Amino acid sequence: MLLTPQSASRSLAAVFTPIKSRGLVDEVCGRIEQAVETGLLTSGQRLPNETELAAALGVSAVTAREALSQLRTAGIIRTARGRSGGSFIADNVLPSRERALDQLRDLTRLQISDLGLHYQAIAAACAGVAARRSDAADVATLRSFIPTAEADPLHWRLALSEFLLEVAAIARSARLARELIRLQADLGTLTLLPCADAGYRTTTTGLLLDVAAAIEAREPAAAETAVKALVAATTDWLLTEQSKRY
Amino acid sequence: MSETTASIDTITVHAGELDAAITGIEDRLAAWAADTGTALAALSGKVTGTAVDKLIRPVVEELVRTPDGYVAGAGFLANAGLLGPERSYIAWWQGEELEHVDALANFSPNSISRYVKSEWFRVPVETGQPHVTGPYVDFLCTDEYVLTFTHPVFCRADGPVVGIVGMDVTVQRLERGAMAALRRIGERATLVNPDGRAIVSAAPDIAAGDLAAAADGCSVHPVGRKFRIWSEATAL
Repeated sequence: MLLTPQSASRSLAAVFTPIKSRGLVDEVCGRIEQAVETGLLTSGQRLPNETELAAALGVSAVTAREALSQLRTAGIIRTARGRSGGSFIADNVLPSRERALDQLRDLTRLQISDLGLHYQAIAAACAGVAARRSDAADVATLRSFIPTAEADPLHWRLALSEFLLEVAAIARSARLARELIRLQADLGTLTLLPCADAGYRTTTTGLLLDVAAAIEAREPAAAETAVKALVAATTDWLLTEQSKRY
Repeated sequence: MSETTASIDTITVHAGELDAAITGIEDRLAAWAADTGTALAALSGKVTGTAVDKLIRPVVEELVRTPDGYVAGAGFLANAGLLGPERSYIAWWQGEELEHVDALANFSPNSISRYVKSEWFRVPVETGQPHVTGPYVDFLCTDEYVLTFTHPVFCRADGPVVGIVGMDVTVQRLERGAMAALRRIGERATLVNPDGRAIVSAAPDIAAGDLAAAADGCSVHPVGRKFRIWSEATAL
């Protein structure tokens, strides 16, 4: 089952804020892809026309048109002509294992391990502060993001990213939270791969429970250790998978 | 009286300044909620997104462009039923350039699911009462550490909640406005939310977001509907 938008609202959040930076076309495309991944836009759904899309995202009509064209080429939307025409979210557009494997093939071991170190540093900083600042409601919310072992890989991937965002929310640091969102974007669909492995899911469930327990017990050092192990489980899995290429 | 704390008269004066600032925000929001309800009730026929935008945007513009104002962003969020069964509608803008927040969600037929769990939406809808959420890191709009003041909107006194109006106040702006008064109240004077979480503190070891405790024998002053100033706080 896919996470419903309400429980995934934070990873979605960055999706819909107005865009000002460069790479506008890519940004628009990325946000629509994320909206699809998180279930807010679903297959068969009609997209706004380029004027409406441009107004909603604060970009020019030209940018919106280019983005729609790029999404069409990537097979994420399809366009129908005529009276009931328009752009629609295509079928089978959810992040796939094939796309994730393509992404993994493009990365070196150095890139993966360095990204892992950065991710560990930020996640550990969040967890340490969260252990000092958490209250009972925070811990209940955090535990609600721990998925069951039977959940499908897409659900797992979203739940893991939401869990770590919640740790950042409990830490109540806007800068750390923004950095975490950026790192998750850098990891992209890669994290889908380990989530398909039952062994990884079992290990990770234990680590998620450890992180939640340490935050609840207000033990910053234990929370940092547990969250580092959680990130390492992902990086180690990816490095092992990547080495099979050689 | 502790030597790090000012006289009770001085404290009352400065706590009163902060109370007036927060109460001002709450009163402005209540008036806006009432005006919005009246205007929505007066719309003939089906309520459209365009009509809502036209109603809300000028008020947001005035709020966020007030010199030295506290409001970083503001807007209206429709409850299910106003525009469609599962549909919400967000008319929210932030910053002096009036960035339109989350507008792509307005194209989703199940957009209400995006907001129903959020405290700032859920509580005023369920209770029919105004609410303050936070301080919390706002991932949806500002990406900042904020307080969100929200108020239910009714088209009829005995009718359902048709939506909420709200204002985001960043902790950063509040600190600029509150720090001088807190310092005059005491070296460890602290503005806290109902959970005892510090919003702004004069004490160097209490940061925004930390849980704190009132020192024994300190005085407590209400600030708006929900907040308190402790004339002296201790870090937990």
